[in-house]
Amino acid sequence: MSRLIMVLAACCGLTATAFAQGPRIEAPAPAPLPGTGLGGSSVPGSPPSVPAESETPELIVDLSRARVSITSAFHGASILMFGMFDPPGEIVVVVAGPPARETVMRKERFLGLWLNTGRQSFLDVPAYYAIAASQPLQRLLARGAGGEILSLEDRLSTVKPDGSRDPAELAKFRAGLVDVKRLEGLYPAAVGQVTVQASRLFRVDLPFPSRLPEGVYDVRAYLLRDGNIVAAVSRPLPVGKVGFSAQLAGWASRDGALYGLGAIVMALFAGWLGGAIVRRL
Amino acid sequence: MEIYLPIAELSMNVFVLLGLGAAAGLLAGMFGVGGGFLATPLLIFVGIPPAVAVASQANQVIANSVSSFQVQWRRGNVDLRMGLVLLVGGMIGSTAGVALFTYLKNIGQIDFVIAVLYVVMLSTIGLLMLIESLRTYIKRRRNPGAPRGKLHTHYLVHRLPLKLRFYKSKLYISALLPVGVGFVIGVLSAILGVGGGFVLVPAMIYLLGMPTTVVIGTSNFQILFVAANVTFLQAATNGTVDVVLALLLILGGVVGAPIGSRLAAKLPGVVLRGLMSVLILAVAGQLLVELLRTPSLPFSLGPREALK
Repeated sequence: MSRLIMVLAACCGLTATAFAQGPRIEAPAPAPLPGTGLGGSSVPGSPPSVPAESETPELIVDLSRARVSITSAFHGASILMFGMFDPPGEIVVVVAGPPARETVMRKERFLGLWLNTGRQSFLDVPAYYAIAASQPLQRLLARGAGGEILSLEDRLSTVKPDGSRDPAELAKFRAGLVDVKRLEGLYPAAVGQVTVQASRLFRVDLPFPSRLPEGVYDVRAYLLRDGNIVAAVSRPLPVGKVGFSAQLAGWASRDGALYGLGAIVMALFAGWLGGAIVRRL
Repeated sequence: MEIYLPIAELSMNVFVLLGLGAAAGLLAGMFGVGGGFLATPLLIFVGIPPAVAVASQANQVIANSVSSFQVQWRRGNVDLRMGLVLLVGGMIGSTAGVALFTYLKNIGQIDFVIAVLYVVMLSTIGLLMLIESLRTYIKRRRNPGAPRGKLHTHYLVHRLPLKLRFYKSKLYISALLPVGVGFVIGVLSAILGVGGGFVLVPAMIYLLGMPTTVVIGTSNFQILFVAANVTFLQAATNGTVDVVLALLLILGGVVGAPIGSRLAAKLPGVVLRGLMSVLILAVAGQLLVELLRTPSLPFSLGPREALK
């Protein structure tokens, strides 16, 4: 939290200087360069498509938290992405969960009962996908920004099916995938709102549901000018279990047999203790 | 208050889970069955993935049966010989059951099979119990002083080979019969996450002809070991045992069980059995509706496989 206040203060100071000097910032000394102790730090394993950050970046971003920790009390999280850009321009933020192979199953009525009759796997399905923008997305993308920034529909149309199938059928399974993910809150239908202040500071709240798959998420901010991407910055956001949940889940996947024995001992002890307490009452 | 279940990978209200455990415990106290047959469908109704619900419920069954086994053992109500013979079948059955479970999970049919098996089993048992308790009720009203029937009748099953003497149960029957019963209960236990007491107890009384005094203790013995086997195998092969979920259900059960047994002491047996059969039929009916009703979303997702 203190980090956030520091950065905002730095940004405010900067805007003040900017107003004094005119619209253009020349080599701003107090500019909080990414990677200089701001928590976001360097971007390990960032995709090569992200333009390298120049010495006087037009777009600077950071996240309010370096990671999403799934603890025993976890029930969703809200992460703030904030930053600064050189006006004019519009901001689009895309959050993509780690890709995975997903299998969609379709139920059909069989002898009056509903059961799974068809299945289709897709490779490279993002675990989570959300977009936020400072202006209605259609308007921004219609100006030709396209290319790298993808709406959920565009992103999913690039997802490869495992095996071949009739295109019309495939489209149905794809739509089914989106419906299920949307129901779980992993593909929010609404485009989030990026708030811009003083035409150069922006902030956006990124809500995450409780049923959140683990992995390294990619939070990417784009600066658009006249429909062109002029800058893009990516921040990895690791999502993972920590503490007790992490230890239990880790144990269960690493050594299932030992975990099973532990579960048996726990239940025996709890049952014995419970019985002893009840008999005393 | 929400708690994150590390294996189910979702957060759920603590009190919902404690309440479920208490309801199962209430049944256990009232009727002497584990209550798993009610808790597992309810866990699935509230959104726990069926595979996790079944495996964690098996873990809960251990705690449930160990506390009542203790009591029965002290009272000398356990036919150890019969228990061990049942257990031979139970171990084979539960091991086969977990393998079948894993196979069904891989082909994406486990949810359907769980629902169908529950509907078939619960409606059969519910109807049988309802008919039996109604019949007893009518008979008692007409002729209160009627003598009880004989201990057990002899069927074809008594002519099977490998006969064994079970002194405590006062039986001389083929070992194949209890092994077979144990096997079926083992399979059910693995696939449905139930202890199987509500099938095992009637089977012991009506099929094996065991005296009712040793039935509960002996079934607890068998259920305890079969549930432990299922927990171990589910954890080792499918990784679906959620100990946090199981512990909450156990805690709820500790509260619910004594309330149930106090209620049971106040109500006559016929009424109890009648109530239980109605409850069983209600759960079966709800599951059947779920199977027949057009789903709001005809699609679902299988397990995610992370890319390397």
